[in-house]
Amino acid sequence: MKFCKLAQLSFVSLLTVSLSASAEINLSGFASINAGKVLSGSGVPQFDVPPTFLADYPIVSSYQDEWDFDPESLFGLQASASLGDGLSATAQIVARGANSWDPEFEWAYISYDVNDEWTIQAGKKRLPLFYYSDFYDVGYAYVWMRAPADNYTWQIFNYTGVNALYTTDVGDWSVSTNFYLGKEDDKDNKLLGDFFFAAETREIWKDIVGGVVNLSKDWLEIRLTHMQYTNERYIGGIRQTWGGDDQRGGKFYGIAANADFEQFFILTELSRLDLEFDGNLDTQMITFGYRMNDFTPYIAYSKMEQKGDDVIDGENHSTTAIGLRWDFHSSAAFKVQFDKVKDNSFDFAVAGDSEALTFGIDLVF
Amino acid sequence: MRILQKLFITGITLASFSGMAEISVIVNNDNASTLDEKLVKRIYLGKAKSFPAGGKVTALTLKDDAPVSEAFRQNVLKKSNSQYKSHWSKLAFTGKGTPPTEVSSESEMISTVKSDVTAIGFVDSASVTSDVKVVARF
Repeated sequence: MKFCKLAQLSFVSLLTVSLSASAEINLSGFASINAGKVLSGSGVPQFDVPPTFLADYPIVSSYQDEWDFDPESLFGLQASASLGDGLSATAQIVARGANSWDPEFEWAYISYDVNDEWTIQAGKKRLPLFYYSDFYDVGYAYVWMRAPADNYTWQIFNYTGVNALYTTDVGDWSVSTNFYLGKEDDKDNKLLGDFFFAAETREIWKDIVGGVVNLSKDWLEIRLTHMQYTNERYIGGIRQTWGGDDQRGGKFYGIAANADFEQFFILTELSRLDLEFDGNLDTQMITFGYRMNDFTPYIAYSKMEQKGDDVIDGENHSTTAIGLRWDFHSSAAFKVQFDKVKDNSFDFAVAGDSEALTFGIDLVF
Repeated sequence: MRILQKLFITGITLASFSGMAEISVIVNNDNASTLDEKLVKRIYLGKAKSFPAGGKVTALTLKDDAPVSEAFRQNVLKKSNSQYKSHWSKLAFTGKGTPPTEVSSESEMISTVKSDVTAIGFVDSASVTSDVKVVARF
């Protein structure tokens, strides 16, 4: 990645005239220009949903039966100011085709390196629930068109709070951990409002406490995580209750393991959200890939299933995908992917069955 | 005939690999640290941030398409350019690290390492001068 300082100086100097002359600013970024369409699909007749491939649950970004460039195209710009002595400030702005290219701050935080092992950060960040959650927007950093849509469905994906990063070595293993605390109050949640309740929904996750432990050695990486939070929800301005209580608890557990044998690699991830009155929402995914110089074909399967005593016909969908990544440039990759989605629920059908083709270019700079 | 052809091609490939230039990892002459392959790898993948003798590390790299960069990433870090950049994208855009700073040429690499006690870089062994100290060769 070219964190080139000089080339953008003319641009940066415009932005930073008021900043201290000693601050060193790095600009970097990423972009994805993707297109796709649904080849065939059932839609969800009971909810008047036409044939749809839901590519990004949290922002409800989907393809339908005409070629579309907007759903997954995005442009991200990150500015990081190093103030010396381990202190830095970083902002990441992302403009999405799915959101009329309106730029929004996805990250805005300060970071302080206490020593070699500890870093304390505070501000607005991505909620690191799943392995790919916090770099979900950076398509270049993973093999697929997108992290498996079935799995990456949580309606809250940012939080504001504090976190501590700790990295160390234990024998041959590199250990990196992240502990975080925070809250998110989403006044108009798109996934719940647009897709599930068809009314403006305010979704609050408070008292978020979580931890991630990442263990890696040459060919193996294991990531363990747990997070818990308290949920409050207003649908159409009316506060929801669950069993007479106006809040409920959620507990998230996740494990991901990736094995990389130079050319051949396997990516796996399992998670469970145990949400009071909604049972357990379980996700699984597995991907096999094979690198041949600049070409990486892959096949992937992912599934989400909701089960529990209070759940009769919960959310239940799976995706089988096959695709190819081609690193045609030192900073860019072309990808093409075919997805076949099965939606097995009636009451909680999301977008119905579908087959979709998507392709595009991801780059970093 | 087929087999002969194959042997011939294999021979050429081997010759071109063995003929590949040796890479030297360089630090400032005032840097007292000794580094092994594992630590070089950890520094360039963002897992180590200081030298064994103390002091923070400023890692430098040549351009992505420089043959020495490609060889260094492949032979020392065991990563293709795409894997290397994916790795660093993942860290850089999630607040977990800052990738090595790019310099435009081997001479700039040497002059930067010469003037910065925290710097570590790599060049073709044939380009090394007395301005810098070699801590590892690959």
